[in-house]
Amino acid sequence: MLTKKYSYLMALMIILLIPVTGLGSETYFTGFLQGLYGGGLDKDNPTLSDLTASETRLQLRMESFADNAEFFARIDFVYDDFYEHSTDIELREGFAKFRFGSFLDFKIGRQIVTWGTGDLIFINDVFAKDYQSFFTGRDDQYLKAPQNALRLALYTGTGTLDIVYTPRFTPNRTPTGERLSYYYPMTPEGGGIVGAPEYLFEADFPEASFENSELAGRFSRYLGNADIALYGYTGFYKNPVGYDMATMSSYYPKLNVYGASVRMPIFGGIVWAEGGYFDSRDDIDGDNPMIPNSKISTLIGFERQIGSNLTANIQYQNEKMIDFDKYVENLPVGMAGKEETYHLVTTRFTQLLMMETLSFSAFAFYSPNEEDFYGRFLANYKYSDAITLALGANIFDGQDEYTSFGTFQKNDNIYLKVTYGY
Amino acid sequence: MKFQKTIMLLILIVMIGGQSSYAGDNQAMEIMKKSHLAMFYAADDGIAEVKMTITNSRGKERIREFAMLRLDIEDGGKQMYYTYFRKPHDVSRLTFMVHKIPEASDNRWLYVPSVDLVKRISADDKGSSFVGSDFTYEDVSGRHWSEDNHKILKEDKLDDNDVYIIESTPIEKYKGFSRKVSYIDKGHYLPLKEEYYNKKNELVRVYTAEKIEEIDGIITPTIRKMENVKKKQYTMVEFTEIKFNIGVEEDIFSERYLKNPPRQFIK
Repeated sequence: MLTKKYSYLMALMIILLIPVTGLGSETYFTGFLQGLYGGGLDKDNPTLSDLTASETRLQLRMESFADNAEFFARIDFVYDDFYEHSTDIELREGFAKFRFGSFLDFKIGRQIVTWGTGDLIFINDVFAKDYQSFFTGRDDQYLKAPQNALRLALYTGTGTLDIVYTPRFTPNRTPTGERLSYYYPMTPEGGGIVGAPEYLFEADFPEASFENSELAGRFSRYLGNADIALYGYTGFYKNPVGYDMATMSSYYPKLNVYGASVRMPIFGGIVWAEGGYFDSRDDIDGDNPMIPNSKISTLIGFERQIGSNLTANIQYQNEKMIDFDKYVENLPVGMAGKEETYHLVTTRFTQLLMMETLSFSAFAFYSPNEEDFYGRFLANYKYSDAITLALGANIFDGQDEYTSFGTFQKNDNIYLKVTYGY
Repeated sequence: MKFQKTIMLLILIVMIGGQSSYAGDNQAMEIMKKSHLAMFYAADDGIAEVKMTITNSRGKERIREFAMLRLDIEDGGKQMYYTYFRKPHDVSRLTFMVHKIPEASDNRWLYVPSVDLVKRISADDKGSSFVGSDFTYEDVSGRHWSEDNHKILKEDKLDDNDVYIIESTPIEKYKGFSRKVSYIDKGHYLPLKEEYYNKKNELVRVYTAEKIEEIDGIITPTIRKMENVKKKQYTMVEFTEIKFNIGVEEDIFSERYLKNPPRQFIK
């Protein structure tokens, strides 16, 4: 209890002290207060509660800057009672940014990192995401989880080189069974959709060591009217996709990713293409069925305005296993195997109405070969500049329980969100 | 021979006639060019704090505040815009960058700092609303004079100012308007008023320069109003802290500054 109080105090002190110390010549405070309430639509979901969200969130933002330095902090105070009463405090971002002449920028601290071209499909963006938030109606900004990292940007005549070093591996936040259920293959019935407390999902974390850190790089430039980029990453799978038979636990296998992307205007819209080679370092030969095979993932997308204030996009993703023969050879008898190629199609529609104060949006993921679906639907109304009301739904469906979205098929939920910003 | 001479004469008449009507268009075109340069290409660069107040038909107000930085690469030609949003809270710290190329589509980027996301935006929507206001993207960065045919309707007075009244019609089919009537001040060439008509020749929007000031020797509209007559709502735009020729370099309009606002200009 004491430590929690202490951390609140610390957070407030950071917010109040930074401007006082005069690090920046200008200081601004903003933030919001938000209520989010959501409930599950499936009666037999084996989670802790019928609610998927019941939380009140206060976000405080502080920025302070001078010509060549900038400090930014964003702190969330959350009261959450979707199951038991709990309070939480999280430093969402807290970094310092420095500019050295015309060639170097330096950003250190807790930060959110994004790159790549996909719309909610990530290939070369191997930075932490929060799918728990994403699936339960929190704002888009919560899809990205912060990492404690060091970021360098080097500007040269030929392009920009970004390096992101994350000393401590930061995984994705995935459903644990408490708020959202998931498929588990090792139940006595031979696999099924499970939830907490019985099947609270936990995974083994790589130890804190220099060699277990993450390093990501990107070289990007503007060519003609296209944004082009090359990427590299060395670290771990962000989801706990490995299973250790010895310890009977899930873990994060080693992963390297190499890729490239291009994005440009065409046919009155924007087209993007991205590809990446996922080098599964703990399963180099592809013969361990408990660790994902190496794969090549490619993506193509197109977005344009198709009507008055109506924007639409479509994406196609293809993932092909490298050593499929060995994967099949080594697959244990009775275990549901994956197909060699995974196909995913997504589409997004956004309609703005009433001078952009009312918006309707729909985003659908559909895999024709895994026969599963995930839809995000949202109606957003800006009652005033300060107050926003949102009503949304997350709908999952799947032919099987072990597929990417089929695993979440009992987690259909609707939510209501009210935000007061200042 | 006589027949040939007649033909020659006819050709000559047609040519002269054609020439003279072309000269008339030319003068209108020249005025619209000057007007466009005065309105959108004043000085070599500029910065201003912009406050946009959108008032709907029920009198409810919404406010947008942003800083806007501009650099002209070539007068009447390539231009760069950088917008840093301050209010409302949900767009605070967002940045928006445009490389405007008059003969081609603009290149546009949006940066959402809360998710560190750089998004490219298609530029096929020049006639659509700018941040939910009554101004369109094109009203903000200007529609090139060569995209319309111009005709001087008459020379007249508007509130004691001598003006050219010019009618513009899009050369290619355009959703933004079917006909525009501009009242161009004969002294500084800024439009004092513009009327936008739709296909049915109904008046849809009216622009008025509510206040024109001289800043650093440059005459510029500091309060602009766009009224949507059909929707019975209007947007007032107030420019403050205007500065010209501040020495903005082209590299400000790159991804580096999109993600890291140039604090030497934008506080």
